[in-house]
Amino acid sequence: MSTLGYFDRFGGRYVAEILQQPLVELEQAFTEALADPAFLAELEEQQRNFVGRPTPLLYAGNASRELGGPPIYIKLEGMAHTGAHKINNAIGQAMLAKRMGKTRIIAETGAGQHGIATAAACARLGLECVVYMGDTDVRRQQPNVAGMELYGATVVPVHSGAKTLKDAINEAMRDWATHFETTHYLIGSALGPSPFPDIVRTFQSVIGDETKRQMADRGIGGGTLVACVGGGSNAMGFFSTFLDDPSVRLIGVEAGGRGPAIGDHAVRMSGSGAEDGIIHGYKSRFLVDADGQVAPTHSVSAGLDYPGIGPQLAALGERGRVAFTSATDAEALEAVKFFARTEGVMFALESAHAGAAAIRLARQQESDEPIVINMSGRGEKDLFITSPLLRLEEWKEFLVSELARIGGIE
Amino acid sequence: MSIPISLMAHLVAGYPTDELAKAAAQGLAQGGVSYFEVQLPFSDPSADGPAIQSACAQVLSRGYTVSEGFAFIAYLRQMFPQIPVYAMTYGNLAYRRGIARFAEDAAQIGIAGLIIPDLPFDHDEGLRQACTQVGIDAVPVAAPSMSQQRITLLGNHGYPYVYASLRAGITGTETEIDNRTLLFLDSIRGSSRLFGGFGIRNASQVGLLAPYVYAVVAGSVFVDLIGVHANEGVAGVRQAVREKARELTGM
Repeated sequence: MSTLGYFDRFGGRYVAEILQQPLVELEQAFTEALADPAFLAELEEQQRNFVGRPTPLLYAGNASRELGGPPIYIKLEGMAHTGAHKINNAIGQAMLAKRMGKTRIIAETGAGQHGIATAAACARLGLECVVYMGDTDVRRQQPNVAGMELYGATVVPVHSGAKTLKDAINEAMRDWATHFETTHYLIGSALGPSPFPDIVRTFQSVIGDETKRQMADRGIGGGTLVACVGGGSNAMGFFSTFLDDPSVRLIGVEAGGRGPAIGDHAVRMSGSGAEDGIIHGYKSRFLVDADGQVAPTHSVSAGLDYPGIGPQLAALGERGRVAFTSATDAEALEAVKFFARTEGVMFALESAHAGAAAIRLARQQESDEPIVINMSGRGEKDLFITSPLLRLEEWKEFLVSELARIGGIE
Repeated sequence: MSIPISLMAHLVAGYPTDELAKAAAQGLAQGGVSYFEVQLPFSDPSADGPAIQSACAQVLSRGYTVSEGFAFIAYLRQMFPQIPVYAMTYGNLAYRRGIARFAEDAAQIGIAGLIIPDLPFDHDEGLRQACTQVGIDAVPVAAPSMSQQRITLLGNHGYPYVYASLRAGITGTETEIDNRTLLFLDSIRGSSRLFGGFGIRNASQVGLLAPYVYAVVAGSVFVDLIGVHANEGVAGVRQAVREKARELTGM
């Protein structure tokens, strides 16, 4: 847990005064819920029968042999309901909101995975759901928009700023400042003003807790855990169980994008492009320009192109407890292909960054200590992005024929 | 209206162009405003409404810098020395430059105070101290959702000015200010002078709020107006803004 909302010098509650009290109330309700056996029992029941936990820990024997290195394991978090780890936090926070008497949930989403998870959780718990999504993302993530709407959510396209995730966050904050009496803001990543980093990590820590048990069951220990890092929710959930175990190395993998130029990547920790900053309600490392304006970012995976990083990860990085590296768009795409071919497992592009770093590590590592990758999401959601990259002509043909079939071509 | 109205008018620095922003300032001055609140555009202004966010984004899209914003304020100080300027912005612009240096630079060009809504008064990264050191005011923002405990805490700091953001808690915007809001204003007044606003758009709203605050803040009404009249050039913007300012100040 944070100390008064801080992780070393990062974190805090840098929001307009109007949101200070709602955050105090949220913190109080969260603390109470965690001490309530009935809440915890219901959470466990939702995790088992709605989310589909535990998710498997797969021994990737073919991949290990082909790389000629140590044994690789994959935590198949992408087998959770709605296709990624996001549902762990969504259902937990939705339950918390309901307990607080809130009737309406708002959320931000970039690629749409957090939006989908939130919409599903709200449908299950009978809560109204509004998802803010940058207009650019709405256009390129139509399958996820369709999914959210099927779950009964209202998707609101955000036209301000860069029309992507960070603008959706601004819009959600604005909504919350006006409607906090009835509404809970269900933040999807381990960032934002305190207590959100603590809440999100706590609900995601089921990933690490399970992994630890599953490793023990197989008689493996130590080794290296690898997770991709956008805001940091899957990484924090995966790592938090192991923070006090010095025999386990923790590696966070950022989006190296197209290269090191500003606007081409989202590397906050492993490069030299980031600065300390105070944005979106918390202090952390951010990609900003000389004035402190938020800089543009890029990643092939929409879940990793956020300009900041969760405050706890920033602190763990500076302490050296979590080591950071990056993987490029091309490396991530290669990793998707590699694990699909060798293991029959399709990584989400986000998680494939962790896969790419693990491949690199396996080739270098001489000891036989295990490498455990968190596959935070599965890759079916990316077919509209990977298909044009991997098989452009066939994909074009498909889209044209689909358009013709539904009468879209005059 | 018998009592004189003190109006704080909000402007986005450089919006929509340097020239038109200056014209708008002239219109405000001629319309009798008592204070300028000049917003230095930030890329992610989460405490602002969509109108001001769009204005900021438009200005930033031409590569507008903090230094240009300060230069705009320096121009206002030179042209309208009788109208104090408060600069409003977000924490990261001050933090990036260094809070102390930011306050120093602000004082240098004659800014009266800084309003930074996402640096709350109890975690202001040294803003109040930095401002005091250079002889300007840090103006904290108060909101009706504040707990009694926080109100007391704020009061203990003894800020000369407090900015009351009243958007939540106002009902019947045209006809009355609800009791809760009045109680809130009483509770934060203490020894501070209050700037207060709640999305003011017309004279009757100003009249309602004026008796309870030191100055009434009008923000997005001018930003909207400037946007609408931008294509009419300097004279058009100046006139539209002047008329609205006159209406609000009762001049």
